[in-house]
Amino acid sequence: MSGAARRWAIWIGPLVLLVLWQGASSFGAIPARILPAPIAVLQAGLRLTLSGSLPHDIAVSSARALVGLVIGGSVGFALGLLTGVSRLAQALLDPSLQMIRNIPHLALLPLVIIWFGVEESARIFLVALGVFFPIYLNTYHGIRTVDPQLIEMGRVYGMSRWDLFGKIILPGALASIFVGLRFALGIMWLTLIVAETLAASSGIGHMAIQAREFVQTDVVMLSIVIYALLGKLADSATRLLEEHWLAWSPAYAKGG
Amino acid sequence: MHTPVTAAQGMAIGAFDLSKAFGSRKVLRGISLEIAAGDFVSIVGKSGCGKSTLLRLLIGLEPASSGRIEGVERSAARLVFQEPRLLPWANVARNVAVGLGADARTPEMARSVTAALRDVGLEARGGDWPAMLSGGQRQRVALARALVGHPRLLALDEPLGALDALTRIEMQRLLEGVWRTQGFTAVLVTHDVAEAIALSNRLLVIDHGIIALDLPIELPRPRRRGDPAFAALEGLVLDHLLSS
Repeated sequence: MSGAARRWAIWIGPLVLLVLWQGASSFGAIPARILPAPIAVLQAGLRLTLSGSLPHDIAVSSARALVGLVIGGSVGFALGLLTGVSRLAQALLDPSLQMIRNIPHLALLPLVIIWFGVEESARIFLVALGVFFPIYLNTYHGIRTVDPQLIEMGRVYGMSRWDLFGKIILPGALASIFVGLRFALGIMWLTLIVAETLAASSGIGHMAIQAREFVQTDVVMLSIVIYALLGKLADSATRLLEEHWLAWSPAYAKGG
Repeated sequence: MHTPVTAAQGMAIGAFDLSKAFGSRKVLRGISLEIAAGDFVSIVGKSGCGKSTLLRLLIGLEPASSGRIEGVERSAARLVFQEPRLLPWANVARNVAVGLGADARTPEMARSVTAALRDVGLEARGGDWPAMLSGGQRQRVALARALVGHPRLLALDEPLGALDALTRIEMQRLLEGVWRTQGFTAVLVTHDVAEAIALSNRLLVIDHGIIALDLPIELPRPRRRGDPAFAALEGLVLDHLLSS
């Protein structure tokens, strides 16, 4: 099958499912209270977009996700670099971090609410904590597994410590760091859904909880779809970054 | 081939009573050796005889346990490893530029990179990723990386060991060619006796940490493997290696 045909073929499955779903709803096989028809979900989306509340909720949720990712990601990245290049930092930090890693971060939710209240900072803290570990672990692991033969080559060819880091260690760790980022993005949305559903006055999760109060199944369904789309969008963006930064690797090259 | 620059004159080096021990294991026991400027010397020996260690000591990669080395200027010495050790995330030209100690930012540096790639027959591949090259081509890029800084001493640590037989002969010709035009001192560690005889002016056999045989090779170049004199020398060295 050619590449173009395959690109179209992957849409067949979801389309058939949508048509069956719409058909079953239209003929009354699935009550709207249980599962609204795709068109009803679409209409809810349109209605909330026109009223301005959906774009606002998406913006609020995305901003929370992004701020948490930037904070947790940069701390994780920095500590991963540090423990990766320094044996001392590794001995001091890594055992403690590995221990804390075993606590599911969502278990801290009640504690976080006591610390921060139901404020913005509580949700951002949880997201940051969630994305911290995959990025920390994969940065550390990536640096530790850089080919020692390449590092020796750099030394023999007179590279400075800075050049060794910038030209060999960091590029060598990049594929692993991206793996960490993709894990982190999954955890980021998951954390946000839980945090927004339990304690928020805006955002997609809040929208879903409000809709539940009024049994607006279409809006609940819409919020699920929006979360899925946001997650897919973040994943695709990472893929593009990978294709650009890891173009040298046959495993990541475009079309490979 | 581009014209040799004046800086690429061979380096004359000497080692005096050189010893190296790893823990209680003595790898080299008092080796003394002088290598003339522009000479091509091969070091052969069984696995673990200390030949690679001798090479690493000579170019100052590892400190000797005792003894001294004279004449080696680290900045004008380059090493070619058994593996290409190219940076997979840098294209061929940028890999060669590593040998200049910097990115090829100036036009002069870019010209040096192009010239080194031309010397190894890969001038058209500067923009390719190493993953797109064959094993032999990758080792040529590694050679270009070593040559681009116009070394006065080229140390080669079994650089052709991982290549198939035909590619190896091609690479030997290439190596002989650049050595003859550029005039650096070459020290080649190899386990392939025929390769040592084909390339070098002088062949050293290392056995149990000492120089067991120091043999001048005066066959006319280019050398042919089928040649009776070549075969006789090869037999002599192999007998020596196998009897020890």
